[in-house]
Amino acid sequence: MSTVSRRNILAATAGLAAVEVLGRPYIANAQAKTATIWVGQGFVPQEDAALKETVANYEKASGNKIEYSIMPFMALYQKSISALTSGDVPDLIFSDAPTVILPVNAFNDRLADMTDVVETQKGKFTETALLSASFYNGKLKKRSYYMAPVKQASAPFHVWGDLVTKAGMSLADVPNRWDERWEWFKKVQEPLRAQGGRKVYALGLQITTVGPNDGNNLFYHFLIAYGGGNIVSKDGKLNTADPKVKEAAIRAVEQMTRAYKEGFVPPEALSWNDADDNNAYHEKLFVMSFDGTLSPELAVITKRPDDYQNNMRILGMPTGLDGKPVPAQVGAGGGFCPKAGKNTAVAKDFMKFFITPEVMNANLKGGLGRWCPSIPAVVKNDPWWTDPKLDPHRSIYVQTTVLGPTIPNYIGFNPAIGQVNAEQLWGKCHANVLKNNMTPQQAVETAFKRAETIFNKFTFEG
Amino acid sequence: MSITQQVLPIEQAARIVPRTRRAWGGGAQRGDFYWAIAFALPYVGVLLAFVVYPICYGFWLGSSPALYEELFDDPTYLTTVVNTLIYVVIGVNLKMIIAFLLSGFFYRKSWWTKYLLVIFILPWAMPALPAFLSIHWLLMGEWGFLNALLHQLFGFEGPHYLTERWSGVLSNISAYNWKNTPFWTLIFLAGRMAIPTDLYEAAAVDGAQRFQMLRHITMPLMAQLYLVSTLLATVFALGDFNSVFFVTGGGPAMSTEVMATLGIRYAFVLGDPPLGVAAVLTTLPLLLPLVLLLMRLLRKQEMQL
Amino acid sequence: MSRLATSYLSGRSNYRLIEFCVEAACVVLGVWLAIWALIPVYNMALIAFSEHGAVFSGQTWPSQPSLHAFAVVWGQDFWYLERFWHQFGNSFFIGITTMILTLLIGTMTSFTIGRLKLRHGWMLSNAALMTYVIPASFLAIPFYRIMNIYGLSNNPWSVIAAMVTFASPYSIFIFQHYGKSIPMELDESARIDGATPLQIYVLIYLPLMAPALVAVGTYSLLLAWNEYLYQFLLLSSRDNMTVSVALAQFLNSDEAPWNYMMATAIIYALPPIAIYYASRRYMASGLTMGGVKG
Repeated sequence: MSTVSRRNILAATAGLAAVEVLGRPYIANAQAKTATIWVGQGFVPQEDAALKETVANYEKASGNKIEYSIMPFMALYQKSISALTSGDVPDLIFSDAPTVILPVNAFNDRLADMTDVVETQKGKFTETALLSASFYNGKLKKRSYYMAPVKQASAPFHVWGDLVTKAGMSLADVPNRWDERWEWFKKVQEPLRAQGGRKVYALGLQITTVGPNDGNNLFYHFLIAYGGGNIVSKDGKLNTADPKVKEAAIRAVEQMTRAYKEGFVPPEALSWNDADDNNAYHEKLFVMSFDGTLSPELAVITKRPDDYQNNMRILGMPTGLDGKPVPAQVGAGGGFCPKAGKNTAVAKDFMKFFITPEVMNANLKGGLGRWCPSIPAVVKNDPWWTDPKLDPHRSIYVQTTVLGPTIPNYIGFNPAIGQVNAEQLWGKCHANVLKNNMTPQQAVETAFKRAETIFNKFTFEG
Repeated sequence: MSITQQVLPIEQAARIVPRTRRAWGGGAQRGDFYWAIAFALPYVGVLLAFVVYPICYGFWLGSSPALYEELFDDPTYLTTVVNTLIYVVIGVNLKMIIAFLLSGFFYRKSWWTKYLLVIFILPWAMPALPAFLSIHWLLMGEWGFLNALLHQLFGFEGPHYLTERWSGVLSNISAYNWKNTPFWTLIFLAGRMAIPTDLYEAAAVDGAQRFQMLRHITMPLMAQLYLVSTLLATVFALGDFNSVFFVTGGGPAMSTEVMATLGIRYAFVLGDPPLGVAAVLTTLPLLLPLVLLLMRLLRKQEMQL
Repeated sequence: MSRLATSYLSGRSNYRLIEFCVEAACVVLGVWLAIWALIPVYNMALIAFSEHGAVFSGQTWPSQPSLHAFAVVWGQDFWYLERFWHQFGNSFFIGITTMILTLLIGTMTSFTIGRLKLRHGWMLSNAALMTYVIPASFLAIPFYRIMNIYGLSNNPWSVIAAMVTFASPYSIFIFQHYGKSIPMELDESARIDGATPLQIYVLIYLPLMAPALVAVGTYSLLLAWNEYLYQFLLLSSRDNMTVSVALAQFLNSDEAPWNYMMATAIIYALPPIAIYYASRRYMASGLTMGGVKG
C-alpha cells in the first residue's frame, strides 16, 4: 500500500475509535442478536476494508453481531431481486448506484419503513439526500423514507491536463458555460492529431445504449443544463408535455449527435460497455469526459501517481443556458431493509450507527473519498474533504457533490423512470439520429411517447 | 475378431433359443425389474427434488396475461424476436453442419490432428466471461486487435463491427459458434467412432468412393444423433445470454438483443422477474414443437444397420 | 501387359496426387481452424502479458511483455484474487463431483431405459427434457428458493445439485443414442452366462461407452467449471466461491486490471484442457475394447 492510502486508513481508524463512545446512545437492546447484511463490493479495496471496520466497531459498541456478505454490484442486484421475489431475504441491503430495486419494491410494499432511522439525523441531511431516500408506497398510498442515506456521488468533468497543454491550450482558459465548454474542448483534437501518433479524440461522450448508467447520466445533465431538469417532478409526474423540457431534450440530442458527426467522439462510443469509456480514458484515447465519481482517478492512484497528481484534472459544474450553475444530479447510496427480514431491528440499529456523522465520515474517508457524505456538516468540519492541498481532485468533487447546488436523480420520484433508464430511451434517441436518419425532434418525440406509456403503468395518489 | 463377427453367431444362437430371446426382448424379467428401478432411482430423485418445483414455479411466474400485453408493447420486442430467429435458424444450423464436417476431418488419423483437436477445444474450455469480453475488445473499431492486425498485415482500416446491427448480429453468432462448435464436434466425433470400421472396410472392398461412404454409411447412422443434437443446440442457443451481453451488449441501440438478454434485463435490471420469464416463455411456440419432435425421435428404438 | 502396367502405374500416381491434394487441403483447413480458435485466446494472452492490461492499445504484440499479471495471480497479490487457490480448490471440488455424478446418473438412467428396458422408461426421458423448457438463467430464482428450503444455502452441494440437474438430461440422451450402437446380443450372452445387471453395467456397458463418457464428462466438468450465475446466487461467503465468480468481480468497477483477469482466465482454463487431453485416449478406444469376456 502506498503511504497515501495507509495514512487514510490510520485517519479512518482514529476517527472510528473516537466514534465508539459517541455511537453508544443508539444501542437497541441488551440481547445480542445477529443480522445478515449484503453489501456491494467497493471499487477499491479500501472501501471494503472501511466497511469491515465500521461493522467491527458497531459490534463492539452494541454487542450485536453482523454477518455481512460482500459481492460485486451486479451480483448484489441479481441476488437481491431473487431474495425479494422468493422471500428469503437478508436483513439489510446496501444499495450503491441508482437502481430500480428500491423504488419498485417500495411501491409494492416489500420494504421496511426507515423513517425512524432517518429521523435520528434528519436536520443534518442535504435536501437532495432526503429526496433520494423517499419513495412512494403504492399500497399505503403515501411517500416515506425507505432508505437510510449514507453517501452520494456526482459526475464531474475528467480531463487529461497534459494533453490540453500538448495541444497548446491552457486549462485556465476553460469556459465556465456549458455549451462553450464542450466547444472549447473540441479544439484540442486537431493540434493533437497533427503531432502524429494514434488517433486521439476530444470528447468521450458515452452515447451508448449498453451499460447501466453512463448514457442516461450524460443525457440528463445536458437536459438539466438546457433547462429541462423538470422532466420528472417531485410528485412523480412526467412532464414531457412541457415545451421547455421538450426543447431542452431536442437540443441535448442535437448537440451530442453533432459532436459525433463532426468526428470529435470515438465511433465505437455507440457500443461502449460500462468499462470501455474508462479503459479508453486511461489509455488517453480522448481528452475529456463526463463520468460519475472519481473512480477513473482513484483507479490509478497507486499505479500511476504522477498521472493522479499532475496530469488528470477535475472540473466542476459550469453555468447552464439560464446563467445559473448547473446543479449536479446526485446518486445516493445507503441501506434498506426488506420487510420480511427476521432481524430488522438490529439492521436498523446498525444503520442508525452508520449515519452518525462521525461514523459516516470515517467510513467514507476510508474509502478514499469516492463517495461523499450525505451530511454537509461532515465535510465542512473536516478539512480532509475540502483542503485542495491535500488532494488535487477531492475539493472540487466535494463542492460539486455536496456543497454546490444538487438535485436528486429521478428514481425516488417515480419508479417508472427506472424502466425508462433500463430501456435506454435516450441512447436510442442518439442512435436514431445517427443510424436511422431521424431528426433530433423525431427521435425525442418517439422516446417521449414510449416514456409516457411506461409512466402510465404507475398510478400515484398523493 | 471384430465385434460384428462375434455378434453374428450369437444372433444365430439366439434364434435357436427363442424362449430366452422373448423374455429378454419383451421387457425386464421379474428379478431384472428391481434392478431397473434401482438404476432409475437416482435420476428420479434429481427430477423430483430439483426439476419439478423450479419448472412449475417458472411457469407460474410467467402466467399472468397482462405480462404478455406489456411485452408486445415494448418496441424492442419485435427486433428481439427477429434476432432470436436468426440466431437459432441460421446460427445453430451453420454450427451443426460445420461441426459435422469437422468431425469427419478430425476422424482422420494424421499425427497432427490430435494436437489440433486440443487447440480447437480451447475456446470451449475458456470461461465465457473473459473470452467474450476479449472478443468484444478485439472487435472494437480502431484500436481492437483485429483491425490493428489487419492494418499491420495488409495496410487497410477494418470496418467497425459493433456499431452496425447486422455486423453486430454476425459478431454475436460468430462468438457463440466459436465457443460451442468444439463441443458438438466432439459429440459427432464420438458418434462417428460408434460406427464399426468393418462397414467402411467392406464398402471399400466393394469399390465405394469416400463420398459414397459418407452418403450411404455415415450419414444414415449419424442422422438421429445429428437431429437430436440440433434440437438440443437450439434449446441451448435460446437460453444463451453471455455471448450477446458481452460482445455487443445488445447494442447499438438494442438492435442486437436476443430473447435471453431481453428477459434477463427485465428480470434482473428492471427487477421484474415475471416479465423476464414471460419473455422467454414466448419462445415456447418455437421450442415446444422441437421438444415434442425430440421426444418422438428418442422413442424410436431401432437403429438401421 | 505393358499397357496394363502403364495404366496401373498412372492410376496409382493419380491416386497419389489426389491423396496429396486432400492432405494439403486438410493442412490448410487445419491452419485456418487453429487461427480461428486462437485469435480471441491470443487477444486474451496479449492483454495478460501486457504491463498495464491495456485493451485498446492497438498493438499486435505487447510492447513491454511481462509476466507480472501471472505472478500476481499465482501469489494471490490482488484483492479480488486473495483467495484464488482456495477458490480454485472449490472449483475442482464442484467440477469433479458434478462430472462424476452426471456420468453416474446419466449412464445408470440410460442403461435402465435402453438396456433393461424399464417399462414406460420413455416417460423418464421426456420428463428429463422438461428441464430445458425454461433456460437455466431464469430458473435461478426458484433454485435459490428451494436450496434455502432444503437448508443448503451457502453450501457447495447446492451448486453441484443444480449443475447435475442441468447436465443430466443431455447426458442421458447422448448415452442412450450411443448405447444403441452396442448390440443387445452382448447383454444377452452375458445374461446367459449368469451375469447380473450390475455386472453387465460395469463390465460391458461402461467400457464400451468410453468415447461418450469422455465427451459427456468433459461437458459436465466444463459446465460446472465455468458457471457463475448459480454459484454466486447459491453461495454467499467468499470462501465458498469459485474462480468463475472471482472473475466476475472484475466487472464490478468500471475500471479493472484486465491483465490480471485474463491471466486468471488462462490459468483457470488449463485444468479442464489437461483433463480432456489425458482422457482422450479413451475416445479412440471405442468398440475395440472388449467387453465380451464378461
